[in-house]
Amino acid sequence: MPTIILLDVSLSMTKPVQIEDSLETVTRKQLAEVGICAFLDHLSIHSKLEFISLMAFSSLYEERCPFTRDYNVIKAELKNIEDYDKTCIETALHGVNQMVLGEWGNNTACQVLLVTDGNTGLGSNSLKESLATLSQRSAKLPFPVPFSFPGKLHIVCLTTPSDSNFVKSKPLYQRLIDLTGSDGSILIPDNLHSESSVIGLFQKLADDMYTTFKGTLKCGNMESKIVLSPAPVPYTQVTDFESTTTIISDLIEVCGFISVSDVGSPMAVSRHLILPASSPVKAASPKKQEKPSGELEIIDDDATDEARIPSFCVLLHGAIRVENVAALVNIGENWFGFVYSWADSKKKSNLMLTILTPGSDAIPWLGDLNHLGSADSFSPEQVGGFPVKPLEKRSYSQNGVVWIKQAGLQSDIQKILRHARKLPEKTQQFYKELNRLRKAAISLGFLDLLNGLAYIFEQECLQLPGTAHPDCALQLQHAAEVLRKKQNPDIKYVVMPLKTNYNSS
Amino acid sequence: MSFALQNSLYPANHKTIFVLDHTPYFGISCENPIEFDFLKTRGPGFIPMTPISKTLWTSSVISAIEYCRIVWDLFPQGKLVRFIASDTVAHILNTWSPTQQNLTHIMNGMSLIGIPPPPPPIRSVNTQLDHTVLHGLRAAIEALSEPTDIQMQHTKNSQDGPKILNNTRVICITSARDNESMKRLEDIFLTVLNQQNKIASTSDKLLPVHHCHLVIINTFPVNIESQVNNHHPKHLSQILTTEVHSIKAPQIPHKLSSLILEHYDLASTTVIGIPMKEEQNASSSANYDVEIFHASSAHTAILKGNASDSAAIRTIKDGMEYETTTLKWCTPRGVTGSELQNCTSMHRITPVDVNSRPSLCLINFLLNGRSVMLEMPRKAGGKITSHLLAAHGGEIFIHTLCTARSVLEDPPSISEGCGGRVTDYRITDFGLLIKQNTLLPIKTKPSKEETEEPIEKMKTRLNRLTRYWPLTISSTLIFNLKNYFDPLPTLITKDKLTDEEVFQCKKVIYNLISLESKMEPLHPANTGQRVKGQKREEQYKAMWNELETLVKNNLHSENHRSIYTCLLECHKFNFEDDKISDKVELDEALHQLDNIGPGKPDQEIPRASVIRATTDSPMSPPPLTSIAPPLSRTLTNRGGGIYNTQRTLLEIFTLQEKVKSRTEFVGRQTDSLTYKLYSNLKTEDRGPREMEIE
Repeated sequence: MPTIILLDVSLSMTKPVQIEDSLETVTRKQLAEVGICAFLDHLSIHSKLEFISLMAFSSLYEERCPFTRDYNVIKAELKNIEDYDKTCIETALHGVNQMVLGEWGNNTACQVLLVTDGNTGLGSNSLKESLATLSQRSAKLPFPVPFSFPGKLHIVCLTTPSDSNFVKSKPLYQRLIDLTGSDGSILIPDNLHSESSVIGLFQKLADDMYTTFKGTLKCGNMESKIVLSPAPVPYTQVTDFESTTTIISDLIEVCGFISVSDVGSPMAVSRHLILPASSPVKAASPKKQEKPSGELEIIDDDATDEARIPSFCVLLHGAIRVENVAALVNIGENWFGFVYSWADSKKKSNLMLTILTPGSDAIPWLGDLNHLGSADSFSPEQVGGFPVKPLEKRSYSQNGVVWIKQAGLQSDIQKILRHARKLPEKTQQFYKELNRLRKAAISLGFLDLLNGLAYIFEQECLQLPGTAHPDCALQLQHAAEVLRKKQNPDIKYVVMPLKTNYNSS
Repeated sequence: MSFALQNSLYPANHKTIFVLDHTPYFGISCENPIEFDFLKTRGPGFIPMTPISKTLWTSSVISAIEYCRIVWDLFPQGKLVRFIASDTVAHILNTWSPTQQNLTHIMNGMSLIGIPPPPPPIRSVNTQLDHTVLHGLRAAIEALSEPTDIQMQHTKNSQDGPKILNNTRVICITSARDNESMKRLEDIFLTVLNQQNKIASTSDKLLPVHHCHLVIINTFPVNIESQVNNHHPKHLSQILTTEVHSIKAPQIPHKLSSLILEHYDLASTTVIGIPMKEEQNASSSANYDVEIFHASSAHTAILKGNASDSAAIRTIKDGMEYETTTLKWCTPRGVTGSELQNCTSMHRITPVDVNSRPSLCLINFLLNGRSVMLEMPRKAGGKITSHLLAAHGGEIFIHTLCTARSVLEDPPSISEGCGGRVTDYRITDFGLLIKQNTLLPIKTKPSKEETEEPIEKMKTRLNRLTRYWPLTISSTLIFNLKNYFDPLPTLITKDKLTDEEVFQCKKVIYNLISLESKMEPLHPANTGQRVKGQKREEQYKAMWNELETLVKNNLHSENHRSIYTCLLECHKFNFEDDKISDKVELDEALHQLDNIGPGKPDQEIPRASVIRATTDSPMSPPPLTSIAPPLSRTLTNRGGGIYNTQRTLLEIFTLQEKVKSRTEFVGRQTDSLTYKLYSNLKTEDRGPREMEIE
């Protein structure tokens, strides 16, 4: 999960701090630097694939380091940051949105680590004022929180708990975190006057921010311990009348298989690599070494050993890749996902988990996901096929009438006239189109159109070339007469072709 | 709760009511004659027809219906629209019931109402009939306080939680004389709304209206100047916001198009550069544009991203008040549906001009199962594929593709992880399992009182089918010897077996017995597989043991049991032997090995030598103690531990077996400490059999 370190570089960060048991004083900014370095060091050991960026802010904001896995770049940059004016958190958070959307889009969960001193700024740009005027924002530039991406906010204040500024700011920070909709945190060091305390705080934060997801992938009696990367975050879904937050279960259970083309490309809340985790066998290995038997030591070959133990994950990956299917998995209460084979490059193929929006109705064309089953377990008339079609057709497949533009009406009339010229072969089509138009005109209260059409038919009769079929004139005359019968227009009435000698057979 | 969240939780667009003015005034013409180009080309004898023009009524109905068409195309559920026409009374065309939320229902209702009534004769002074839109507005307010199905359900659910908010919208198409009468209309609406809320607060069936957004469209024929001015939304009260749009009748659809984007948070996309064959000239193709509507969040990613890129694709739609995003058609290469795209959102779409030829062309292309990528240019050069248009089950969706950088950059391959070096997974067999467990939609009968969902049944089924399922080829024998075992492995996993199927399974067992008696080696059907240099006896032994595991793990019914019994009767199993060699997970094996060490008196002291079942005399009792497992077998088996979870059952079973099959030595049954062996040798009857049988 990418993280933005948002460092306050306002003037108040230069306030000195007396370091315990030493004559040295450091500024809060220097303390922040030490802490951030400790944070990065922790990551480089435990989560070195994470992307981190650095943004400095005061009344303005500046991206100092783009997202990178090379943490030394950030460490170097920390040393080059000058001091600026006053704190303005709202502006900085706009910057965060901009930066994340530009890099990761609006769908990648990111974390924001705000490092500040407990001062929330002064005047109209202060956090207090920002929060007070929350509801007065335009739709074009709404308040930056909740973030435009699934985001968590952690606030580290380099201050003491009794600091009067901090006492005042704490509820404001909490409000900000509540607005994000995720569980963030406000942290202050146990002892501001000790560097090791600050370092400890940042290390613990890094540990908490990057918890790995460990779970089990299960298919009947087969299972594998797995790790999901990146770790999934709780998902909050706001629909009409409901806002629910769901957390993925640590048991991911295969329910069955669907061909990739039937799955389509549904919306994913997030995607995660499924990595087979080390089996508990590893824990037993010290025991093995105690064994006096020489031959047993062959299996104590650590890394290669694990790669040689059959894993259900690898079997599943191989088979769904060959069959070109995705496995539908249950990942929580009424929550589903798909496990499928995914390749970043041509060579490296992986097992991927796509998490769908919570609810069994996440994919309209698959129907209710709880109502999927194997054809073997049900009678043939109970089993349907994909895609599941909605009960009602959409307007674009209904051949409805839209006469907003004149062209729409014109083309409907022209169509009838085209058929009219080809009577009697097109008798069916002529009356079908005529009835469609008549029905619509009555519904829309457009009775003038019926008269107009009758007139057009009569004119058409007069204009018929000598080569025209005699039935042509008869049918047009008949249609015109029926259209002119003004009294009680009824949509249920269907204009029928006139029985003539030419079509009675 | 924040204002924004409240609005998205309880959107006004859940309940919309169109109040259409059906008074005699609306029967007048818009004075906007329709031109029929195709009549102009007629010869000189042609008498020009009287111009046709829509009435105000027709214009308003067409526009309102179009609004609904878009809403219901994009949101098949949960966005409800009602129609009320007003003349001397209010004509209510539909209810909140989902069954009445469709265009056919509305169109039929409209045909029953018919055209507005003729104006009352001027002379008749005291007509009882008062033609006004107020009847409709009153009825609308009453309708707003009726709860919808969804609201009722949530009221029930949230009895002790937060109360749901009844946010609503009324769109009224009418015609007012001047600003003053418009103001009066708004005031009356507020008064009635307050009255209705009072009534609703004392009723347990009605919901008070927490907020109503009243949109008034004041319309008039093209040749008239209106005395009514537009006004932006203003909060008349805490529960009422009103706005007025004064427009000529032919402009109503345009106005509603802009409003609908606001009301439902929609966005417009213009797909440009769609190649289409010309009607006249089929060999060439021209490029066309098609405009579609969809939820605005389909564009969040691209519009909020790079500012200069997004500015380049946003333009104000010609003759309209809203913005459209221009994306380029990207001729599809190959079948895009065959892979899962990284799709961050998906929304239904509807074409703005549904019956135009370019729209129909695009729609039919999609409905026929093909999909289209849309791309946007980048300022920095190049372009990115940002969206996918595709139809699923007759509905067209816009999928937003991930255009941003992925955090999954440069991931490790699965072959680098655990189990990645194993090369003999039973991929083909798992493929068969996949085919057996392909999911299909099940039409469940609501009458059935079955609580278990089909998907839960699937889990049970997968559980049953994988009771014994070795992961690799080298860890199984019987699944490699399909030619000898079919159809037993398939049949045994069924939840019920017919007598015929039982017979088939038993036949497999009998056949194996006869093969064994003939000492025929077992050859895998697939000759390409390497056969381990196993001795024939070992092969048979392993085979029987594995078969026993398979059958014992699948005792789903009495018939299954009968197969197991048959197996036990046909072949004598040496379960003590199996205990360590075959059935023990590695951990446990190691644990047991640890226990075997010196100083640990153990119940399982290895026997010095092994007499194989096949070489033992038929009468020998099974050995009491187990043999130490051959090391090589531990190695091959330890990985397969995943599916060997039946150890406790086995123990119970072997215990029973011991009790059952092994009678105590006759000598020990007496109290005497000594007993003469082979006592019956002296007698005429030489059969040791007698001693064995009770």
